[in-house]
Amino acid sequence: MSKRLTVVPERCSGCRLCESVCALHHFGVNNPKKSAIRVIALYPHPVIRMPVVCRQCAQPKCRENCPTDAIVVDNGVVKIEADKCVSCQQCVISCPFGAIFVHDEIPVPFKCDLCGGSPQCVQQCPKGALQYVPEHELGEANRVASVLRYAHMKEVEYVEEGERKKLRYAEIGREQSREGSD
Amino acid sequence: MVPFGEEFALKYVGGRGFGAKLLFDQLPKIKDPLGPENILVVAPGPLTGLYLPGGSKTHFVSLAPLTGIYGDSNMGGNFGTELRQAGYDALVIAGRADELSYVWIDEDEVEVVPAPELAGNGCLETDRMVKDRLQSEEVRVAAIGPGGENLVRFATINADWSRNAGRCGMGAVLGSKNVKAIAVRGGKDMPVADVGALRLLTDRSMKELSSHPLFGFWQQQGLMSVVDYVNSAGVLPTRNYSENVFEEAEQIDGFKMEKEYKIGDTACFGCPMSCGNICLVKNGKYKGTIAEGPEYETACMLGSNLGVGDFAAILKGNQLCDDLGIDTISSGNLIGVLIEAVETGLLRPADVDGMTLAWGDDELINTLLEKIARREGVGDVLAGGSRAVAAHWPQLAPLMVQVKGMEQSAYDGRSTISMALAYGTCDIGAHHNRAWTVGKELEAGASWQAEDRVDLVIYHQTIRPLFDMLGVCRLPWIELGYDENRYAEFYSIVTGVPHTLDDLLARSREVWDLTRLISATRGVSRKDDYPPPRMMERAVEKGPYAGRVVDRGEYDEMLDLYYQKRGWSEDGKPAEGREKDFRDRLS
Repeated sequence: MSKRLTVVPERCSGCRLCESVCALHHFGVNNPKKSAIRVIALYPHPVIRMPVVCRQCAQPKCRENCPTDAIVVDNGVVKIEADKCVSCQQCVISCPFGAIFVHDEIPVPFKCDLCGGSPQCVQQCPKGALQYVPEHELGEANRVASVLRYAHMKEVEYVEEGERKKLRYAEIGREQSREGSD
Repeated sequence: MVPFGEEFALKYVGGRGFGAKLLFDQLPKIKDPLGPENILVVAPGPLTGLYLPGGSKTHFVSLAPLTGIYGDSNMGGNFGTELRQAGYDALVIAGRADELSYVWIDEDEVEVVPAPELAGNGCLETDRMVKDRLQSEEVRVAAIGPGGENLVRFATINADWSRNAGRCGMGAVLGSKNVKAIAVRGGKDMPVADVGALRLLTDRSMKELSSHPLFGFWQQQGLMSVVDYVNSAGVLPTRNYSENVFEEAEQIDGFKMEKEYKIGDTACFGCPMSCGNICLVKNGKYKGTIAEGPEYETACMLGSNLGVGDFAAILKGNQLCDDLGIDTISSGNLIGVLIEAVETGLLRPADVDGMTLAWGDDELINTLLEKIARREGVGDVLAGGSRAVAAHWPQLAPLMVQVKGMEQSAYDGRSTISMALAYGTCDIGAHHNRAWTVGKELEAGASWQAEDRVDLVIYHQTIRPLFDMLGVCRLPWIELGYDENRYAEFYSIVTGVPHTLDDLLARSREVWDLTRLISATRGVSRKDDYPPPRMMERAVEKGPYAGRVVDRGEYDEMLDLYYQKRGWSEDGKPAEGREKDFRDRLS
């Protein structure tokens, strides 16, 4: 089952633990600038914190632009083969997400390798902003939100243990086609 | 660039410790905190930037413009990590630039760049302009606003939108040096003696913290959860500390925030607790106001202490203070004095630019914040801090809640007398972070003797400043019970030199003596270690502690004991010979 590293920016606090643990795991140093994931924080307009990390594209622009065929897709993971890489930075420039990184103490550009199937950043993210999910689950949040937006649901109010509660349900007899709407 | 010797590094640890020693060495040359001979030390700690819980802190140490004595203040966020990645454990800013400038530190290249176009801009706009000029979103900028430029005695230094070195007037020190901002960028490794051990200990620590039963609640509310607790306990300063319970507390607490205003979470570098809250006002006259905050102190000092029961108004005040670069605690405290003075007839509206100040008038309060930062009209008087206000209007002295010239923060000292001692003896003035004994005394204080209170205050004043030497945040320990011995483990792992917590506490105690020595040289003695008159002479008006004052006899007994236990004279001077201990010139 192939899995994807996905980002939920709304949950990100900008703590950068993902950066720290990535650099430690791959290079054995405390140096967020040697991490293959980087949190961008913008404020106050627009206001967002979002980790940028390789999406392991199936048709990677970095590979397309690599003049020495140093980039390969191996079992779903986009890899830079150091012995073929001339460190021209074409991949860094061509990645539409900015998810390939460079550091002057590291001979070739570096990027997310999913830690061999157990991404450390996902494990250490204290907010659930980084997730490693099966591909067939991708889009699930939107699917659930879409169902919840389904209009014409009936509502019943009731009291349970002194607390007022609401239950929403879709009633038979009110069916209509929702084709084309959300 | 000067390398620290190992002896210096181990003796003073870092952060506040480095700052205190560097300031002590410079002290004989300093005439005026705002003179070119004063120095501003900017120092992260040896744990800042590392993979461990809350290694985010940067400390700013200087002879304080607000008090004229030893001063320090710190901020979280990302600035300290970047400074360490640029290769620095401390930055010393001395002298004065010819024109308004920013300091640009690009690893080994340091320059002072003239930038007169930054004049008058808020902290956020300055952050933006410097980033644009350097063409980088990833540099870190610490900036002052109009408050610092205009030498407001409680001006802040701001970074990462809303992380502030808030107290003591560190922003005015930068302003006096004609430095509008410090920009830094770095990519160096932060050395650790045993990286493997660090990884193991932190992996384990993160699991412990995140499995704490209050972890989720803490992420939701952060320090805003304190409003409800403190109000219920009857220690929430209200209307210039005259009452201790605020009838509209529910309108300004963490639950209100969560329900109506919070749109996101923020965290400082390397911290899983994300206590920062991004709040947005979606309706009403403050619609569009956005800030990372408020935190407890601001909710109280710009809220209950001014009779403001409107969360949106507090958020607006928070946003203004962040951008203007002035301290919310000192500002709220001084505005409270002014409102009470007008309400009780000690001042006439004509004395305060014609404003009919009243409790809860948020629009006039926000006007005052602007006036302070720009030193306009009555704002010019307030901008000098408590001492300047009392000198200008001697009749207001009994209303002022300050120690050593620093406005007291948002916990009352009458309901828990150990907190009065904590404020009285705090080395920078009436600040809560060196010893916060409220919770313990409320819980168990009924049977305490003077000695129990003194011991607790000294223990707090020893362990809490240790965090400020290490460069870590103390909240994992305070709020989620994270084992304090872990910090000694981290320090040992990082330095490669085994240390116990007691070893480090002994260093912290030394630094406390050092900061006292600095302040004693500037004239501080026993007379400056008393709570403000309001705490000693005027009883709490409402709440469970109504009728309470700090009894002078009881306080004197504690103070005698405090000096004895510190090895200081009856007048509060560190023992003879202590000066010599610090006089060594370590490279």
